[in-house]
Amino acid sequence: MNTEHSQIKTAVEPKLLPGDFAIWFFIFAELLVFGIFFIVYAVVRMQNQELFNQYQDTLNREVGAINTVLLITASYFVVRAIHAIRRDDVSRCIHWLSASMLAGGGFLIFKSLEFYGKFSAGIGLETNTFYFFYISLAFFHFLHVILGMIILGAIIFMAKRGKYSAQEHTGIETGASYWHMVDLVWIILFPLVYIIR
Amino acid sequence: MNKYLNVNRIWIIMVILTISTYAVGKLGYSGIYVVLFLLTTAIIKSSFIIGDFMEVRGTSLLWRILMYGWLWLVTITIAVTYLISQ
Repeated sequence: MNTEHSQIKTAVEPKLLPGDFAIWFFIFAELLVFGIFFIVYAVVRMQNQELFNQYQDTLNREVGAINTVLLITASYFVVRAIHAIRRDDVSRCIHWLSASMLAGGGFLIFKSLEFYGKFSAGIGLETNTFYFFYISLAFFHFLHVILGMIILGAIIFMAKRGKYSAQEHTGIETGASYWHMVDLVWIILFPLVYIIR
Repeated sequence: MNKYLNVNRIWIIMVILTISTYAVGKLGYSGIYVVLFLLTTAIIKSSFIIGDFMEVRGTSLLWRILMYGWLWLVTITIAVTYLISQ
C-alpha cells in the first residue's frame, strides 16, 4: 500500500528543469532586461507614433523574417541534438548541434549585413528615437546570439571528446536552454520592431 | 517516435506563423486587430519555445508562472500601449 502510494506521489511530482539549475536564474534575469526594453519601446512609440511608423518602413522585413526562421530552425536543431544525446547517439547530437551553429551563423551574417547597411548610410544611435531603440535592441540581442554560438561551439568541442552521454548531458541541456532564450527574445522583437504599427 | 514528430510539427507551425507575420507587415496592415493577431502569433510561438523546446511544461508551478508570466506580461503591456494609442 505504501509503495503504491509513493508511486502515485512520484508520478505527479513536477519534472526538473533541464540543464544546470543556475542557468535558469540567468535566463530569467535576461528575460527581465529584454522585457523592460520591449515595454519601454512600446511606451515611447506611443508618444512618437508617426516617427516610429516612418522609420520602421526603412527596415528590411524580408531579412527580419529570414532571421526569425533561421533562429527557430536553430532552436529546432538543438532540440533534435538533445533527443539524440538522450538516445546516447553522440555523433547525431554533434551533427544537429553543428547544423544549429550553421543556422545561427546565417543569422549573424544577415544581421551584420543589415547593420552594415544602416551604419554605412550614416545611421546611428543618435539619428532618432526609433533608431536608438532599433540599434540598441537588435545589437544587444546580436551579442546574445554570439554568446549562444560560443556556448554551442564549446558543447560540440566537449561532445567530440566524449564528455556527454545518455546518462550525463547536463552541459548540452544548459547550453540549449540559453539558446532557446535567445530565440524566445527574437520572437517578440521581430513583430514588435519590424512589423507592428 | 511521436515525440520527434511533434517537434517537427512545432517547427513547421512556427515557420508558418513567421511567414504570416511577415505577410501582414508586407501588406502594410495596421490597427488594433492586426496588433492582436501579431501578438497572438508571437505568444503561440513563444509558448512552443518555453513549453516544448525549453521543456518548462510539467515543471514546478513557480517556474511556469515565471516563464509564461513574463511572456503574458510583456505582450499584454505591448497590446495595451497600442490600444491606448489607437
